[in-house]
Amino acid sequence: MLSHSALTPLHVALHKVQKRIAIVFSILGDWAAFIGAVLILGLGTSWYMIDVGTPLTTIRQGPWIGWTSGGRADADPYTRAHFTRLGSLQLSGENLITYVAHTDSDGRRLHSSCDYSVEGREPGTSWWSITVFNDRGELIANPAQRYAFTSQTIAIRPDGTYVVTLARDARPGNWLPTGGAGRLALTLTTIDSTTPVLVKSGAAQKPLPMIRRIQCR
Amino acid sequence: MTMRDRLGQANWQLILAAPVAAGILHICATLAAPYITADSAYSRLAPGLPLNKMRMLSEIAPGSEPLPFLSPDARYALCRFDTSAGPVSVTATLPPDPGWMLAVMTPQGDNIYASASTPGRPTPITLALVPSEEHFLGVTPEARGIARDTDPPVALAARRGIVVIRAPDRGFSYQRDTEASLNAARCSASHF
Repeated sequence: MLSHSALTPLHVALHKVQKRIAIVFSILGDWAAFIGAVLILGLGTSWYMIDVGTPLTTIRQGPWIGWTSGGRADADPYTRAHFTRLGSLQLSGENLITYVAHTDSDGRRLHSSCDYSVEGREPGTSWWSITVFNDRGELIANPAQRYAFTSQTIAIRPDGTYVVTLARDARPGNWLPTGGAGRLALTLTTIDSTTPVLVKSGAAQKPLPMIRRIQCR
Repeated sequence: MTMRDRLGQANWQLILAAPVAAGILHICATLAAPYITADSAYSRLAPGLPLNKMRMLSEIAPGSEPLPFLSPDARYALCRFDTSAGPVSVTATLPPDPGWMLAVMTPQGDNIYASASTPGRPTPITLALVPSEEHFLGVTPEARGIARDTDPPVALAARRGIVVIRAPDRGFSYQRDTEASLNAARCSASHF
């Protein structure tokens, strides 16, 4: 049996090593937590503000989201990054704005397995169009070669309202085929050469169409 | 170990530095995002366009979309310009129909000029794209003692970019008119 005095130097050395490892791990742990928090906070908030947008950069009405400074020379960095990443053509937001909807008016994801009706009122002064894409921004191939309706090609009711039906199979009236595209994206583009398409905060917004889910398969 | 002990042992310097560092990273990531994206609208369109010439795009159809979310609700004429060798002049007349637009887009996607059609009358547009604000555009007709019978061109400083003319597609019946108006637009390197 070893004596107490013979064990002490070994124990002391091991204890010192253990303490130093604990200190190193503690410091590394702190730094790992610091770097993790910085990455999540810094990159996460940047991604959110570029990809999703906030009330500072977007205008929202129901399911429609429009980037207010899109294409403008004085656009904020988030808007600029958003459209550069998206790779879409962005013409000036002074007279033209494009709204995008990925959900219906109840907040449910648009999908080609469901039928939808887009109901709105002809605004009168401006030119506008509604186009359906898949969620990658590609047109949905269909035998009718129908992808969009504009204020010049849509059938308007006598009371000035219109209904566009999104469905896989043919529907009467303004039908946009959705095929088997999966997730859908709707764009609404308005051009107004006489008045700016964006009104100052507090003023009444022009109403945008409602998107109602009719049925799903 | 109580909560007080844990708080006492926490590295407050790192905790306070984290939001500051996250803020710096947020700003850097946001500002760098447009420059590290290889698939901007300009980088997708530019390789297929001749330099300083207006080209009308064919009708947009599934499988041949030049850009994502580009609607077939319009026809487009594009001119990729580069003013490093000299000014580029652009002339177009927007018909008096709603929905026509002409915009000058930089490689970063900014519209440094945009004009929409005016109902009731055509909108003639003449642009002089120059490499910098100070570029000499030549002696004006007035300076030579000649009365000018047209509006002076709008001078825009831009090194590279794309001129976009957007014409609303009003259907097959109007296709020829639309294409004729787009084909009438000019974009060319000018010499003084």
